[in-house]
Amino acid sequence: MSRVLRAVGIAALSVLASGTLSGCGAIPQPRGDVALEQSANPSDVAEILDRYRDVRNTAISLLDPKPLSIVESGPVLAIDNGSFDVAQRLSRTQPEDERQLQVASVETPKFTQYPLWFMVTAFDPASRVNVVQVFERLTPVDPWLLVAAPQTLPATELPGLRHDDGHVIPVAAHNGKGMSMSPQRAAAAYAKALASMSGSSAVERDDFIKKRRAAFDQANRLEGVRVTQTWAAERVEHALRTDDGGALVWVTLLQLDTYTVDPGIKVSWPDGSPEQAFLANGISGSGKLRYYRQVLLFLPGGSNGKPRALGHYGGVIGGSAQAALSPIPAPGSNPLSPIDPFPIPNPTASPGEATPNPSPTSLPTARTHIDLNPDD
Amino acid sequence: MYNKAIGTVVLALGAFVAVFGLALMVILGPDGRFTSGPHAVDAKGVAVVTAPTVLSWKNVEIEILAEVPANKPVFVGVANSVDLQAYMKGVKRLEVTSFETPWKLRTRQAAGRDALPGAPTAVDWWRAHAAGLGGAAIKTRLPDETVSAAILSVGSSNLRGLKVTIAYGVQGAFLKGLGLLLVGGGLAWAGLLARRGESLWEPGEEADAEDSWSGDESPTVVLPRQAKANPTVPTAGDATEPGEEVHELYVYVDEHGVEHEISAEEAAQYEVVHEVEHVVDDAPEPEPEPEPDKADEPTTYFWVDENGVEHEVTEDELHEFELYDEDES
Repeated sequence: MSRVLRAVGIAALSVLASGTLSGCGAIPQPRGDVALEQSANPSDVAEILDRYRDVRNTAISLLDPKPLSIVESGPVLAIDNGSFDVAQRLSRTQPEDERQLQVASVETPKFTQYPLWFMVTAFDPASRVNVVQVFERLTPVDPWLLVAAPQTLPATELPGLRHDDGHVIPVAAHNGKGMSMSPQRAAAAYAKALASMSGSSAVERDDFIKKRRAAFDQANRLEGVRVTQTWAAERVEHALRTDDGGALVWVTLLQLDTYTVDPGIKVSWPDGSPEQAFLANGISGSGKLRYYRQVLLFLPGGSNGKPRALGHYGGVIGGSAQAALSPIPAPGSNPLSPIDPFPIPNPTASPGEATPNPSPTSLPTARTHIDLNPDD
Repeated sequence: MYNKAIGTVVLALGAFVAVFGLALMVILGPDGRFTSGPHAVDAKGVAVVTAPTVLSWKNVEIEILAEVPANKPVFVGVANSVDLQAYMKGVKRLEVTSFETPWKLRTRQAAGRDALPGAPTAVDWWRAHAAGLGGAAIKTRLPDETVSAAILSVGSSNLRGLKVTIAYGVQGAFLKGLGLLLVGGGLAWAGLLARRGESLWEPGEEADAEDSWSGDESPTVVLPRQAKANPTVPTAGDATEPGEEVHELYVYVDEHGVEHEISAEEAAQYEVVHEVEHVVDDAPEPEPEPEPDKADEPTTYFWVDENGVEHEVTEDELHEFELYDEDES
């Protein structure tokens, strides 16, 4: 056979073979084992974030928290509702360009059943903090909703997350394998540390605990005012395995402050503070304030690791006051000067920016006024 | 021998690939799919779904056509099994637990409420879906994840009188089969050539392609040449027949392409890379005819003096002179 014919034959075969082989990736084949796995895919995540941003901006523009209920749920929605109340009173808005969260990373765990959730880390240029959000879908017919959004300082580094096949690994609330305690126990221990005067040896006494305790002590130093504070951890729903075998845990804490004010004394908060939005007339007699605090806990791997907070997000979600039944004339003593029972790091928060600045060095600017009212 | 073994393997492989391609073309046809239906399905609830184990292939193109009488609304979709199982939780449904081609189903009836938790058209997790009045059809490629198919009633309707037609195949299967057939044919052809001892390349090209020979130790190419005497059929490529006289010559080709003859012992040190056969006629080439007069002509001797003048010399006087041939002088 001639050389030319052979060359043509070889070339034709090569073309055909490459053409056929290029489609080999699409050749039907059995999948092997049947694995029930689902996670949010990247295109879904982009859509979810865009939708969240649009709705949030609409709510901010309207100074109305109602639209948020279609993109937020649970504690985050409750906290944001509180912040919107404050913003409505003060008619505060944010510039448009500052409302855009800049997404830094998205981590999608795989699940075998509902609920599904994923984690987003974003920079909030308005507050100059990083937001570590969790979006969750409870059932197939529910939308994706923001359920957790603790904030960290830009300088705070999150622990590395362990991945399996490109997906982060969720940790069950009661799974304490490889750690000093389970995420649920860590949440309970952290709540206990917040409520305890002496703290708890099970958790690290971090800045968040120190500030909460300092605020509580300051409130109790008011003459004629007794404050009790209780903390309770809700069920842990979201935790991810870290590289060191530990866990990154989103903890929601309910803080209840109960005020008992002596007759003739009224506790009030300055205009613009979240507390004032719920207790416009202050507390005379007794009153309660409820807060949601979302804390991002790092539970280190190993048997000796103590959980510590990397960031937090919170605000007032409700308040009630009951006037004293039998007012007693004022004692005529000197009025108490304003003090700071609660450090509210970011009292001028605008809509959608309800959270206190997590900076450990931020100074509380909210004021709690204890007014002596001689007419009562 | 070595070439024959390789050729046989390539030939067999080519034949297998060609037969596979041909089978693909014949079974799936020009549209590349196999269709079955319509089949009546006795669906008492509001849904017919497949269990996660049923659709266990990936990259298969499937088509599902659901038809219901009286223009009732119907929905067809394929989704991740986690989504679909959660969606179907507590819903009265017919679950297909196994499926064999062309149409052999095993089903179980799951009890539950006669309503879906939400409109199927309102959720966003379908991989493929379609809805229509009286019928709906989808066409999708099965992904590399566990998915299930569902046929659902819409609104307050039901699935009584449901008929299902399915089709499955491979996109471009006919062309792929044709390609495999051609590739298989090519491989078979190459195998045949190899078995015959023919090369796809000319020996010279092969020699050029080899690394250059840097010394006596590794010649560029060693070519055993077989010369056979066959005066009647001098065709190259014929097998050597008994009785024919065979002379084997070994040559190596150096980096300049120059052939050097070597002995069989020397050639044994090298790898034989190419074999060339030359047929040589028995009849010897005719000797050139001697010039008739020159043969008998007596030799004449001359001596040349210093002036260039030739003088004839007899044979007896020759011992006095130094002899030179005429051309040399």
